[in-house]
Amino acid sequence: MAIELKVSEVKMGEAYVGKWGMVIDQDMCTGCQACVAACAMENNLSFVGETDSGYGRSMHWIRIERFWEGSYPEVKMTPNQPMLCQQCGAATCEPVCPAFATVHSQAEQLNLQVYNRCVGTRYCANNCPYQVRSFNWRDYKRPEPLPNQLNPDVTVRRRGVMEKCTFCIQRIHKAQDKAKSEGREVVDGEFTTACAQACPASAITFGRVDNPDSLVSQLARVHGHGVKHLEELGTLPNVTYFKGG
Amino acid sequence: MSDKLSRRDFLKLAGVGAVTTAILTGCGPASRLVKREPYLQMPEYTYNGLSTYYATTCRECAAGCGLIIRTSQGRALKTEGNANNPLNLGKTCARGQATLQGLYNPNRVRGPIKHTRGERLYDTATDPFNDDFADAKSNMDWAAATQTVADALKNNKPEEIAFLMGMAPDHLFDLVTDLANATGIQSPVRFGALSMFESRATLSKASENLFGQTGLPLFDVGGAQVVFSFGANFLETWLSPVSYTRGFSALREAQTKQRGKFVQFESRMSSTAGKADEWMPLRPGTEAMVALAIGRLVSEIRGIPVPRAFSDIDPLDAASKSGIKLEMLNHLAEMFANSTGALAIPGGAALGQSNGLAVAEAVLALNAVVNNFGKPGGVFFSALAPNQTEYQGPASAKEVGEFVQKMIDGKIKVLFVHGVNPFFELPISLQFGGATKNIPQIISFATFPDETALEADYIFPDHHGLESWGYQRVATGSVGSVLSGAQPVVSPFYDTRATADVLIAAAQLAGGKFAAALPFKDEVEFLHSKVTPLINEADGFFSAPDVNTFMAYFQQFGGWWKTTDGRSIPNSADVLNRSLSSAEAEFAGEGEFFFVPFVSPTLAEAGANKPWLQELPDPTTTVMWNTWVEMNPVTAEELGLEDDDLVSITSEAGVLEVPVYRYPAIRPDTIAIPFGQGHTAYGRYAEKRGVNPTDLIGQNFNEAGDLAFAGMKVKIKKIGKKKPLSRLESIMGVYGVGLGEEK
Repeated sequence: MAIELKVSEVKMGEAYVGKWGMVIDQDMCTGCQACVAACAMENNLSFVGETDSGYGRSMHWIRIERFWEGSYPEVKMTPNQPMLCQQCGAATCEPVCPAFATVHSQAEQLNLQVYNRCVGTRYCANNCPYQVRSFNWRDYKRPEPLPNQLNPDVTVRRRGVMEKCTFCIQRIHKAQDKAKSEGREVVDGEFTTACAQACPASAITFGRVDNPDSLVSQLARVHGHGVKHLEELGTLPNVTYFKGG
Repeated sequence: MSDKLSRRDFLKLAGVGAVTTAILTGCGPASRLVKREPYLQMPEYTYNGLSTYYATTCRECAAGCGLIIRTSQGRALKTEGNANNPLNLGKTCARGQATLQGLYNPNRVRGPIKHTRGERLYDTATDPFNDDFADAKSNMDWAAATQTVADALKNNKPEEIAFLMGMAPDHLFDLVTDLANATGIQSPVRFGALSMFESRATLSKASENLFGQTGLPLFDVGGAQVVFSFGANFLETWLSPVSYTRGFSALREAQTKQRGKFVQFESRMSSTAGKADEWMPLRPGTEAMVALAIGRLVSEIRGIPVPRAFSDIDPLDAASKSGIKLEMLNHLAEMFANSTGALAIPGGAALGQSNGLAVAEAVLALNAVVNNFGKPGGVFFSALAPNQTEYQGPASAKEVGEFVQKMIDGKIKVLFVHGVNPFFELPISLQFGGATKNIPQIISFATFPDETALEADYIFPDHHGLESWGYQRVATGSVGSVLSGAQPVVSPFYDTRATADVLIAAAQLAGGKFAAALPFKDEVEFLHSKVTPLINEADGFFSAPDVNTFMAYFQQFGGWWKTTDGRSIPNSADVLNRSLSSAEAEFAGEGEFFFVPFVSPTLAEAGANKPWLQELPDPTTTVMWNTWVEMNPVTAEELGLEDDDLVSITSEAGVLEVPVYRYPAIRPDTIAIPFGQGHTAYGRYAEKRGVNPTDLIGQNFNEAGDLAFAGMKVKIKKIGKKKPLSRLESIMGVYGVGLGEEK
């Protein structure tokens, strides 16, 4: 039986302001992959080798998408599009997890991935419209002495576990702990995610979207033409893109 | 031992640890005492969970960006940019990020080795993910190694001793230069594949011809409104990519000013050209005439008499030869002429052709029409580094060729190699490999078991960059004059030794003029002797009342730089009155395709042994872990080729087999192959992966002595086999493979 979908009756998410958010200026992004490398180094991402990466099993929490428009000689590369977990306010990955491994943090307004709850059903990845979740199909080894560089603040994942961008939650918590111990609030720009910190074009900016004075909020206002990807699905993403050009 | 330690002993040891490492962060002259502390003897200030940060310099390329390394309990954990360093202002590229995978690479040279040429340096039978591996064992101690170097210095005539070094103008280069000046050994030759692919020698030679001054031009992309780049891949690996990327970001910034425009002229769309507003796929070899034609049209639009430089060019002729329509040339000329900040940049493959020098001069002359010299958004000469009196460019390929000829003629009896891998980086056609057979003794200071170490008689491994002292002069990219400083962020992981220390000790052993040339106790003392004179210079980022404090700051901030503008303004008085050549490039070889080798933006010349760099998708093709040849889909169809089909590519210099990637943004008469893979050694992640396009490059030079690497024509033949490429993009994506939409 065909289901008739009336757009007017689709219940969209309510007006929503998240907490942590990101703006990405695609006009500035050069596709240099510095963010991808920085993310891998910060978050203990495994490399999977040539064969598995050919099957699409590579562990990129952030990737740079580029598409082609037209054909030679009028061919154009679309603006590079860094794609990472959009930390949706109404995330489609969350309700499908039978193990409550992908849950919403009320405190941080982020999508969490609780590795030791994950049983590897991969429902969340199937349901993610942004395709930003990576699954550990194997125990990818790091030969000695590579493990020396592992970040002690980030869990190392094993086979059968889903993982994804966390907005560098370890950095968020570190900054919050520091601010708390000094009896103050976290200052805008005091810390940032690994990808934003590395980006040589300063295309990525991270901060509090619920604070109108933060740099992310200001950039979103000044640009005015920011878009959220697949917003029509009602996922309420916390990442805003500037197409520019 | 640990179970015999009393608590009191433990506290004492911890105290010693605290002293040594506190010094490392920059408190005094004894700072050469660097120890990696085991957990039992953790320095007092090291709280669990709290990190220590050290400023140092990135050694992944010769740009000299400042880094801050996060360490914890003696391990390096993460690379960040040094926000104080005016070159990169806290930013890094992907290669800088992955530098830790070099430090902790499973395949490093672990100690001094007496080696039989060609003998394997590690076991490759193992699975790349397996822990079981066997690097070649060290079979001598450092005392014997130092004696070997001393004997090599003493027992050969000075003029028969030669040093081949990396591109970076660093402290070791200064040390060897001092040694050469004092003893008569050959001056060190600096070379790198990157300097060849960015055509650095051609750029500096062209500016010398036009402006009468040696130096490396600096292009203020950030201050410009319209940027025309002829082949300069400044967002990838060219000269100083992080600094140029910052400039690009400023060009694009549209909140406080008008968004700047960018046009790239090249036959294959590089990832730099992918960011351009207009990509001009001109016929290879016609860059000079296009630049001159635009110059002529700009003069006409601006209503100035057409200067001599552009008087001989016919725009219509240039349009028909280059394949860019006359209307388009007019449109571009208007864009350039009517802008308040127009800038033209020559570089890369456009200069790596037989007429490369003419291309560079023609493009630089475009800047003279709009007279942007010394203005925001214009052309400058790069600031010289603080302890530098003149520009010291790396050797051109021709100079390396002359060096190889000396080797062939038996004029070199002992060759020291540091920081460069000529067996991989030099085209086979330069015959470096064969020439080494005439050298009785080759001593490599390689950190990694690379191809050159494989052909050496001795390997005396230097520390990894993050375990080393040093400094690096910033050749270009910053407004002010910058000396990036390096210090060990962790203690050496293996039994390696700083090459400077080895040379100083060996010079002392060799005695006589060698000992007199390097009268230092160790590397740090040498370093201090070079850096401390800066204490008297004005306009420093910091100053200090005494030498010890100065050196402590030098370590703490990661170098020393001036706060003033150190760029100089090129003398452009005579540029437009010269006659400039518009001749087309000549191409070597028989084939029907133009061949463009380009540097992989993620791997570059030395990234292939870092697994995460291998797994970074190429920015344009998204291919990982391998080499491909880019071919226009129309051409591929004509040749009956699909993605992943193996083809053999034949040039006058060699043959390669490589899988096809149908690339929509390349001229149908051009093919391109990335440089970075094709190692026959260099560790498990690099070896036996892809091909090296330098194998196809013949021995043809341009007038500036750079290799005409993009001046080749090649033939393509289908082999009938497939080699599937790993790529991030879906193969369904571009051509509808598997969707029934396939053409």
